[in-house]
Amino acid sequence: MATTKWLWGLCVAFALSGPAFAQPAEAPPPPAKKAKKDRGKKRKPPVDLSAEVAALNGADLEPAAKAAETLGASAEPAAHDALLDALALGLPPAVTSNVFTALVKHPAPADVAALRRYARHHTPTVRSAAIGALAMYPDPNARLAVVAGLHDPVASVRAAAAAAAGKGRMRDAVEPMLKLLAKGEEASARALAVMADTELARKLADQLGKVPEASLALALGLILKRPDFGPDPERVEIVRAIAKIADASAVTALTDYLDATPKNPPRPSRQEAQGVVEARLGGSPDKQDGRKQ
Amino acid sequence: MKTLAITTIGALALLAACPQKRVFQLSSDENNPYMLKQTLDKRQLPAQPTPTNDAKQPRVFVVTAGSPKTIAAFDLASGNVMWKADADVQSRISVGGDFIVALEGSQLVARDQARGAPRWKTNLPGTFVGAAADAQRAYVVYHASSGYVLAAYDGKSGAKSWSADAAGELGAPGAHGGVVYVPYLRQWLSILDSATGKLLTRIRGIDEQIAMLDVTSQRAYYGSKQGVFVLDEKSATGKRADATYGKVKIPPQLDGTTYGVDVYDPVQMMYTAAERKRVLWTTTTIDGQLQLPGEGYAIHYFRYVLGFDTKGELTWAYSNPRVELVASDHTGSAIVGVATNGDVVALDPRDGTVRVRKSLGTTQPVLGATFDADGWSPSGQGEKSDAVSVLVSIARDRDARFDRVKELAVRRLAQLPGPEVTQHLLAVIADPRQPQRLKDTVVDLLMERKDGSSLPVLTTQLQITTDYIANTQPESLAAVAKGIAGLGGTKLEPKDVSAALAALQHHLEAPTTSNGELVQVIGAMAAIGGGVERPVLASHLLLYHADDNLGDDAAWQKAIVVALEKGGPTEREMLRYVARDPRTRPKLAALIQEQLGD
Repeated sequence: MATTKWLWGLCVAFALSGPAFAQPAEAPPPPAKKAKKDRGKKRKPPVDLSAEVAALNGADLEPAAKAAETLGASAEPAAHDALLDALALGLPPAVTSNVFTALVKHPAPADVAALRRYARHHTPTVRSAAIGALAMYPDPNARLAVVAGLHDPVASVRAAAAAAAGKGRMRDAVEPMLKLLAKGEEASARALAVMADTELARKLADQLGKVPEASLALALGLILKRPDFGPDPERVEIVRAIAKIADASAVTALTDYLDATPKNPPRPSRQEAQGVVEARLGGSPDKQDGRKQ
Repeated sequence: MKTLAITTIGALALLAACPQKRVFQLSSDENNPYMLKQTLDKRQLPAQPTPTNDAKQPRVFVVTAGSPKTIAAFDLASGNVMWKADADVQSRISVGGDFIVALEGSQLVARDQARGAPRWKTNLPGTFVGAAADAQRAYVVYHASSGYVLAAYDGKSGAKSWSADAAGELGAPGAHGGVVYVPYLRQWLSILDSATGKLLTRIRGIDEQIAMLDVTSQRAYYGSKQGVFVLDEKSATGKRADATYGKVKIPPQLDGTTYGVDVYDPVQMMYTAAERKRVLWTTTTIDGQLQLPGEGYAIHYFRYVLGFDTKGELTWAYSNPRVELVASDHTGSAIVGVATNGDVVALDPRDGTVRVRKSLGTTQPVLGATFDADGWSPSGQGEKSDAVSVLVSIARDRDARFDRVKELAVRRLAQLPGPEVTQHLLAVIADPRQPQRLKDTVVDLLMERKDGSSLPVLTTQLQITTDYIANTQPESLAAVAKGIAGLGGTKLEPKDVSAALAALQHHLEAPTTSNGELVQVIGAMAAIGGGVERPVLASHLLLYHADDNLGDDAAWQKAIVVALEKGGPTEREMLRYVARDPRTRPKLAALIQEQLGD
């Protein structure tokens, strides 16, 4: 590629500039060439991707997006490198999410630096997509970028970061998400529910009075519905925590739980939930709704 | 000139209606050098500035609000209140030898200066215009049905000594050393013998009105808002160029500041807000030229007293705590002021050091005051004025009336070195209550400051970033970046530069940094980076060269391209690549080609 020489010069300069910039600097364009070198030894001669690469780096957005998909589908290291190069050289915002999607199909450590650069892009949709992609990488820098996204002023970016944190079960994200929960952010409630173990679930239950009741009921209700959460005595604790919530959303959360779980075999948590709902509504929810199990 | 003509025509008409002989007439000997010299020689003036009162003690007479109002006499030297007396004061107080005189109700009332008891009263057969006093007599100008009259009353008995009729408008008089000065028809300053009322001579202002009169124990100043003449032999010329004439530089921010009372303005015959905007100076005449003392002059402007050097540059400032100074005077050795709350303050005219601060013990707000303190030089232990804190208190004053004065304060503040000054300037920018114009001024001043020691302060300011959870956002990012850019070319500590670049890079890459702020951030990085910043800027350009928002911003394009084209072959090659890239925004590509000369 014609840009190789100066791109590498840029990378070197970036590396040299490290000590002068005492604070963490955003990573340079990804060392795609290194990845090529490492993998090239084990692979067959690469297939010709020049048409896709040209389209990806072309001015037309639609062919560029399509080329990204094609390159993402390819298992060729050169295809992955082409995607990284494109990210390093800068893309129109309309194409970036296609490139991110393509990139994460064959995740490699070098991707994180490229994605982090876009996780602070001026366009919120680009940030959201980059943060979503970073969820796929078990890399501390990826986690940092996701957690940083929780502090973003744009709600959709925070929601993307919360979803990414939930998906990646990022413990570093719990505290900021609890703060967002306190601000009534539904995405954080959902993400916390996704990643909650018994300890986090108890912590969430303790948030009563500190966070909006509807958000808390949503989070605890979603935990209850998770088939992997348990054992059942832990669910009972969750039901009891929901029962303390005065807001109508508590009944909704418990009703949803009843709807989502079979009557048999009997579960203490379900019975507890049913009791709470009956007490709140003055009758059996099954009868009231005319539902059959 | 037009006003003069109209006034003259009016006066002529009055003259025609009044056939009897009047002292003040349109046609009379004027600007006569011989007569003026005779008159000046007749004056018996003290060798040193001295109070008018017989005891020659520095005193101030204060009028406080209330129903009725109160006069309080205060001995400045001893710091003691001499007396207080209820009085329906309707004019400024004039100080004589052993009495004071003022309009009380509709009467002219003289009070014993030592005790405050009324000594005599007299009804005025007309509307009060103004009064003055010297050791022996009180002089009052009033407007009777027959015309304007200047009358003299004996200070001890109240007996009328003499009176002089005028064929036209008279202004408030002044007196010292055996003569009485009376402005006449805004064109003349008449000088009468204080004992007989005989007109000794008069001066005609040829190229300036005479509407201001300020008489000290040794000098008489007359003139207008434009400038001031000193009464001396050269006054006979009547012209600014040939007389002893002077004016000081009054900054436009101190709008409305004057040299003295407008003797024709009936409102100013009582204490008014006009007293709170006054030039305070003392002068000498050297080789026929009006000279200011080495320290220059001062301007009292509401709560503040601002000291200026002879070139008109602000050198010191005094900010009176909480309340305004309602009256002020230059004694020759000190600047004295009285505040609304009854505090008396004396400042050193050289540097604004507080020599004396005392309380009159008044319970009602002070409306105004007359000083009789010529020559007073208080020897009290000075409270050294802290220039920075005074200027900061002015700059951060919440009173919207002082927005322009704040400009003056921040300009002076910015001339002082040190990181704490930078911090104060930044605080002005960050204060949401401050007017935008002031903030713009501060931004410009930060750029011009070139104080390398301020870089860490500016960097600290950059640590505040946008955080939704913490509910923070950068304060004055563009201004801070401009301030840093202004340090380009200044000797800076390498570690400070590194820290600043890192902080700037954070904002460069932050999604919330606006396009306009980015321009300043890029400028700042380029100004202090010495080339280290270019890889970061190159990465930034690549990230956004195809972006249809930032990439199309002309200011951003210019900033980033100019910053990078100064680099070496690597940066120039990269710029050429960007210019050739079909995704690059067209105007950006064109600009790069233009800058590179391709």
